[in-house]
Amino acid sequence: MTRSSTQSLHAMLQVAGWIGLGLIAVAVSLSDFLASAPADATGIGPLLAPPSTLLHFGSDILGRDMLSETLHGLSATVRSALPATLVTLVAGALFGFVAARLPRALALSLRGFIGILASLPALLLAVLVIGLSARGWAAVAAGLSAAPFAFVRAFERARLQERATHSEYARATGISGATLLRRDLVYEFSDTILSAAARALAAVSIVLSTVSFLGFGAVPPHRDLGLMIAASKLYFLHAWWTAAFPAAALTILILFARLAAGLDEGERA
Amino acid sequence: MSEARQIVEVSELGVASSGVSELDNLSFKLAAGEALIVLGDAASGKDALLRVLDGTTRRSDEMSGTIQYGDGPALPAAKRGKPGIRVVYLAGAADAPLNPYTSVASQLARVLARRHGSPRASALAELRIALERFPAAPAFAALSGKPGELDAMDLTWALLAAAMAQAPDLLIADHAFADLTPTSIRTIVAALMQEQKRLGFALIYAARGLKTAAHLKGRMIVLRQGRVVEEGTFDKLASGQSHAYTRTLFKALPRPAEAAPARSATRGEPLLQVQALDLRSPKDIRSAKDGGPRTRDGISFELRRGAALALIGEEGSGRRALVRALLGLERVAGGRVVLDQVDMGILSAAMTSRLRRRIAFITGADDALDPRMTLWDVVDEPLRAHLRLPREMVAGHRETALKRVGLASHDGRRAVATLSPFDKRRLQVARAIVSAPFLAVIDEPLRGLDAFAQSIMTELLEDFRRQEGPAFLVITADVGVAQVLAEDAMFFKDRKVVERGPLRDILRNPKDEETRKMIEASLPASL
Amino acid sequence: MLRFVSREAGRLALGLLGSGLLAAAISALALPHAGDGLIAFLIAWGRTLDAFGHLNFGHSSISGGAALDELAAHLPLTMGLVAEGFAVALIVGIPVGFLFGAGPARRAAAPLIQIVSAAPIFCAGLALAYAAANLLHWPVPTDNGIKTGLSLWPHSAAEFETLLLPVLTVGLAGAAATQMALRRAGSDGAREPWRAQLRRMGLSAWEVEGVYGVPQILAGLLASLGEVMLALLSAAAVAEWVFSYAGAADLFVKSVALRDWAIVAPVLLSFAGLTLIADFIGRCAARPLADPGTPP
Repeated sequence: MTRSSTQSLHAMLQVAGWIGLGLIAVAVSLSDFLASAPADATGIGPLLAPPSTLLHFGSDILGRDMLSETLHGLSATVRSALPATLVTLVAGALFGFVAARLPRALALSLRGFIGILASLPALLLAVLVIGLSARGWAAVAAGLSAAPFAFVRAFERARLQERATHSEYARATGISGATLLRRDLVYEFSDTILSAAARALAAVSIVLSTVSFLGFGAVPPHRDLGLMIAASKLYFLHAWWTAAFPAAALTILILFARLAAGLDEGERA
Repeated sequence: MSEARQIVEVSELGVASSGVSELDNLSFKLAAGEALIVLGDAASGKDALLRVLDGTTRRSDEMSGTIQYGDGPALPAAKRGKPGIRVVYLAGAADAPLNPYTSVASQLARVLARRHGSPRASALAELRIALERFPAAPAFAALSGKPGELDAMDLTWALLAAAMAQAPDLLIADHAFADLTPTSIRTIVAALMQEQKRLGFALIYAARGLKTAAHLKGRMIVLRQGRVVEEGTFDKLASGQSHAYTRTLFKALPRPAEAAPARSATRGEPLLQVQALDLRSPKDIRSAKDGGPRTRDGISFELRRGAALALIGEEGSGRRALVRALLGLERVAGGRVVLDQVDMGILSAAMTSRLRRRIAFITGADDALDPRMTLWDVVDEPLRAHLRLPREMVAGHRETALKRVGLASHDGRRAVATLSPFDKRRLQVARAIVSAPFLAVIDEPLRGLDAFAQSIMTELLEDFRRQEGPAFLVITADVGVAQVLAEDAMFFKDRKVVERGPLRDILRNPKDEETRKMIEASLPASL
Repeated sequence: MLRFVSREAGRLALGLLGSGLLAAAISALALPHAGDGLIAFLIAWGRTLDAFGHLNFGHSSISGGAALDELAAHLPLTMGLVAEGFAVALIVGIPVGFLFGAGPARRAAAPLIQIVSAAPIFCAGLALAYAAANLLHWPVPTDNGIKTGLSLWPHSAAEFETLLLPVLTVGLAGAAATQMALRRAGSDGAREPWRAQLRRMGLSAWEVEGVYGVPQILAGLLASLGEVMLALLSAAAVAEWVFSYAGAADLFVKSVALRDWAIVAPVLLSFAGLTLIADFIGRCAARPLADPGTPP
């Protein structure tokens, strides 16, 4: 495969990712219309019925229509993931670039403190933040838990630029730290903000859904996909549809977010 | 007298890559002990020739014509196979040819072991013997360092020693001495020619400019867009060339100037005054036997507005240390610097930064510009950041500057990382133009450029000085570059000034031995 | 090298100190009156730090047992899961990383690997459990509230079947992180000029890649050991929950839910310490393979 044909494939996949996210956004906004039953409506069908022509995704232990529940669950997950993404972008990447240009002692202290947070798995950090605050803060917690890694990455990239030869020449010709920060924000942040947002969306979706799976996120009746999968844990071994469809919806969301972020080598979602 | 053995004969060689012709109908013969210099820019086709000769063609290359190695039959170029003679490739240190994380000796010994089919230990011994044949080469122990720990000259000696240890029949040197200083080129070319006499190999040297060719003195072919435009010996072509392109190449070659560059009409009061600047580091002072700074050995000079001063010397001689000290980028043990009537020593960091806005840098380092920035942003930044001009005015100044350097037709949204070295160099000039500096530091501005680009770059710098009128501080190891851009010069060695004065006078009658060597290396007597 | 190791050791020490301060701050919440304002909290923090200095991490507010004892009872299982998962990560991740980490394969494989690794770990764990239960008919304990012991060195087929699923779950997460690190290192070095130049000088492609390319890529993996450890610990938390095992990660989650901060703190400190130490070891091990030396 030549380099240019691979680049075209990657560009196409990125477009496909954004189209997919767009479709998910449409499904989320119209979930109340698309779903045949309201959220958490029990007794719609027989209990634990497999997929059929009437109930395309089957039903769960309380007779809830799995297709409707999956749509509502996807909506809940995305609605939590969006503010979490914003928190990650601001508290992570943006703050990282700004912090790198602060006076050295302050910059290194911040890097040290946030580096310690980055040495904890994001999932456990999110659980801790929720435990210290409240379950209603799950979205913020997920955003804050994904932020340290984004902060460290942005900080190190900015420091690398700071030490580069071109920065030395810039300083030698009177270019100020604020102008150098502008370069970072324009070329590292705003140029790639859509990619960074998509990448952050994938990361916080994983954290949010896992946190809900562990029982720290969404509260019934506003069930997100993680909580739905957790609820199916007792009987999914013989009623696969109760976990498979929510898991598929979640995987598709994360996949489209990662594709939309672009296939940069080694970028951790 | 027996005829020299034929090493290689190339007949009507053509190379096309992915359907695009790179080389067309090239023919030449080379015998043992002969040298052929292949001259041209990046798109001239010389890379295609080297690929065919050293057997590293790409899958997309389509070749025509024949090649005969030694006494073997003339075979189609596409069916090169094993040549039957020893073909050795000599890379240039500037091309980073070795893995940066392994010692130089280890890598070169592996190459030798592979080529000879011998154990690594004996390959190391062969490398040592080959290196010790060169009196100016570093000690073999230095090669236990990694490539980044050796300077360009030492790495070039190592590469040359490894090539000679293979006892080549045909040596293909791919810009092997590019980016070395003229003195270094002269030394290493002399060693190469001695080895050629001893071993009797044929040499093909690919070059962008004439600096090395002037010392090598072999036959030359000038390639342009895949075709031969000129052939002949160096001396014959230097005396009268027929093709316009060849004339441009020779125009770029430095010669002793008949007339000094015109002094700027606006020269006036001093811009820069340096008094007793001691370039030794405080650590060196502490370890000095008699202790304390010695002001009588410090550097003192003056640079007037619009004047041009060249700081000439080899790498590590102290020229850049001086400039860094002048601009307050490094602490010095003693001395005083007054820039634009302001004592730099008493300024705060903020005020020093403001003063530096009137200084421009134009350097041969490809990493001087931020690779992320766009072409337009590089030129806009000083106007926005320092002068805070409105957008329309910024665009106007930008267009004018880019037109002057010949970059107006480029897509302004292109990132610097995608530009060629020549374009980056011109972009630096455009940035300097809009900065309206009172001082321009020009540091090896022609490094890595082919001869054609060098002549354009020289014209741009002369135009920049004429129109904007900044004072020039030119840092170079090449006296030829200095004489084009500056009237006065200071020659450096070991962080001291060994000779100074009007450059024309020094060129006529150098008093210092080191100065004389640098002049002879930069301005070969053949010219 | 000595300077590098000293600098990294200093970073490690500072990191452990910072983690200790953070853990002490959390543990201080367990003390009475710690929530009575900033001054009260700072006093509680100071007291807790002093206790930490004497290796006294307090007592669980739920079971009453010493926090260190609880940690000692649960941490070995998590460490065992992580260690065995790491082995799986290397066995799976290294071949995938090298296979898809070089040349055209890297560029073409990137979308495929993104697709395969998009599923969250708990989904992968449940999928493994489903496959094991329904296709292989293995016993799969996924009941909430029922915690069973886990033998990390199985002595029977049943024990092996029980062990394999959580280890595979952790291992797959580690493999994803491993292959990512390898592909990133492969990508970083792919366009360096020395590859083509050494070939022109006469070395074969195998020699260039095997002798010089592979160490560089391995150095990239070693330098990312901290990231791999993070992925393993995250996956261990999920695996312990999905398969109902009483490891330290499960203890952490339960303790946060019950606000038993005296238990949360030492577990948090252990996990941070594991990641920091893995990062330190990885970076020191990578240095000899990818040290460009000091410029002249």
